[in-house]
Amino acid sequence: MYQPLLTRRYLTSKLMPLLAVVAVALCAAMVLIVWSVMGGFLNSFLASGRQMIGDVTIAYGREGIPHYQQLMDMLEEHPDIDETTPTIETLGLVSLPFGESKDVVIVGVEPEGYDAVTGYSDRLYWRQREATGDDERRREAVQQAVENGADFSELPPADIRLDLPEGFEIFGERLLVGDPDAPAGAGWESAAVMGLRVSPFNATSEDGFFYPRFPGAFMPDRSITIRVVPFNRRGGFTTAGTVDREFPVANEFVSGLFQVDSKWIIVPLADLQQMLRMDATERVDPNFTPGADFVNGELVIRTPEVIGTSPARVTSVLVKAREGVTADEIEPIVKDIYTEFAALRPPGTMDSAPDAEWMRENGIYTWKKKPGLAEFIRQVESETVLILFLFAIISMVAVVLIFAIFWAMVSEKTKDVGILRSIGGSKLGIAWLFLRYGLIIGVLGAAIGGTLAYIIIRNINPLHEWLTHLTGRAIWDPAFYLFSRIPDQVEPGKAAIVLVSAVLCSVLGALIPAVRAANMDPVRALRFE
Amino acid sequence: MHKTYRLGRVDVPVLRGVDISVDEGECVAVLGASGSGKSTLLHLLGGLDRPDKMDAESGIHFRGRKLRDFSSGELDRYRTRSVGFVFQFYHLLPELNVLENTLVSAMVGKNRISWAKEKAACTQRAEMLLERFGLGHRLRHRSVELSGGERQRVAIARALMNTPDLLLADEPTGNLDQTTGAEILDAMMALRTETNQTMVIVTHDTATADRADRIVRLVDGKVVRD
Repeated sequence: MYQPLLTRRYLTSKLMPLLAVVAVALCAAMVLIVWSVMGGFLNSFLASGRQMIGDVTIAYGREGIPHYQQLMDMLEEHPDIDETTPTIETLGLVSLPFGESKDVVIVGVEPEGYDAVTGYSDRLYWRQREATGDDERRREAVQQAVENGADFSELPPADIRLDLPEGFEIFGERLLVGDPDAPAGAGWESAAVMGLRVSPFNATSEDGFFYPRFPGAFMPDRSITIRVVPFNRRGGFTTAGTVDREFPVANEFVSGLFQVDSKWIIVPLADLQQMLRMDATERVDPNFTPGADFVNGELVIRTPEVIGTSPARVTSVLVKAREGVTADEIEPIVKDIYTEFAALRPPGTMDSAPDAEWMRENGIYTWKKKPGLAEFIRQVESETVLILFLFAIISMVAVVLIFAIFWAMVSEKTKDVGILRSIGGSKLGIAWLFLRYGLIIGVLGAAIGGTLAYIIIRNINPLHEWLTHLTGRAIWDPAFYLFSRIPDQVEPGKAAIVLVSAVLCSVLGALIPAVRAANMDPVRALRFE
Repeated sequence: MHKTYRLGRVDVPVLRGVDISVDEGECVAVLGASGSGKSTLLHLLGGLDRPDKMDAESGIHFRGRKLRDFSSGELDRYRTRSVGFVFQFYHLLPELNVLENTLVSAMVGKNRISWAKEKAACTQRAEMLLERFGLGHRLRHRSVELSGGERQRVAIARALMNTPDLLLADEPTGNLDQTTGAEILDAMMALRTETNQTMVIVTHDTATADRADRIVRLVDGKVVRD
């Protein structure tokens, strides 16, 4: 029972144990912060990557997939498949208000089906929000500032979502704008929903909400013009040139993925099919010769004979798995169903489906394997492992540091060991004294390190903004790291692993010195100066 | 008893066949110059070290049992319960106060439950011993705040805490002035008289040795006159 008393006194009477606690705390905090941010980044990426594209994608590029409705029907018959939806994804240009323009990705969707597969409507940003206590405090602060004569330009921005009418997001959900009181469909026109970062007119407040930089910059009040290049059925350019169309903006969305939020514009599928010449069209006799004939004395212009209909096409079909079924589980199912579909649409005609073997290899994949996304996920996973490995090595430095500190402490306490042995202290008791010491240092260091890491992680974005302001340089560039905000969540499981490891490392560092102390010759220890 | 230490490659014999006996209740002074092997003898008697094994009969016998036959656990318990050490340089634990330094010998060998049961009684005994030695008002002081004489009193109180059968004192007054040393000896002898405690005092001072029942002279590791 002398160990608790002595450990307490050793901890509080010297500076060296405090240094050991600081070493453990800093190492634990360092590993936990890095793992949380990198892990959070990967988790956010995986979660966001899944958004907007469903569980499994069937994609065939510009030539498109014809008779996609038949394919969708066949897929939805399977019990493990919940929903499917067709989409078109193409590059284009957008002309924004105030003379701005940029290259974008235009995505054509059927709103209801797309929402069912991807949860798209949850990403719409401009929707009425209930005021919170912070909002009330902010309003009071603004009012106070105005009463004190503050200039309007100095006031903090207001979150306009508080003042939006209820149900404002319904336009974005349907990709239509019109009179909400009019009968369904009457007078409504197709609309676009943009990624929130497509427009350069949105800014982020200190509190993290978006707001238009100046009056007139609220995009749902404006229109945009989209320009695309239609392709023929062989995937080449047509002679029709570019196609422009103006769309009112119904809303803006936030996926959290910077590349999507800054590039994507979602429009109704039918409109995009029309623009790209991918809608169903009549096929005419290719041997038709234009001209005119005299029939019963009258000149009649020849019209081509309609010999069939070219089916509408889409570049991809998105598939959502039933609840409880993973994307990996339905991937082979989707491939098999597609093979059946392709057998019904043999090659050689306008109705042919893309080759099944090719599609199984290259055109059907889970969201994790989506081209572009898969490589990035692998890269992030590899970097996470590498960084953790490097920090594990650095943590070994902490173990060696603890070892060195404990070696010195045991040397300093040599005479104490001799005294304790002279009054009957056992070797095991002596060893436990120092192991206990190491354990307590580890526990204290882990607790402090864990708390420090939690505070830093939870405030990492304000910290980053402060550093950016101080240095004039953004350390976390959303354009590179794909997310606007640095992940700021601490996973309890990871925290437990890091903190327990810190304690174990501390005990490990104290182990050899503890054994050394236990095996000291008590007579020599008493004579130690 | 023989004891040889190895210093580097050299064997240094310290005790070269010491043969002494101490009766229960007796006070024996081991008198010798520096380097005669007095402290080594005391360490062997207290089980802090083991003599060289020369033959079946050599070694230390305590109440008919050879210390050589004790396991390490039994030897630890021997030092806790049967022996009390008093050293020349006090050897107090610097982080503990006077009361805690005295109590620590009672804490050894006890677990949380047994200590919880005995703590009150042990604390009472420690306070009584310290009061007896005139330190009742210094219980919360650290050893650095005490004089040499006061520190030695604390060391004696610690040694007597478990009412050991055998008190081993290694130059208990060697680091003290004459007056203080005499006071310390008086206190030790008074307690010994009350409890009939067996005592072995190692000293180079004849005045101290004369206080004992018997003097054993040690010269170059051998008993010269018993």
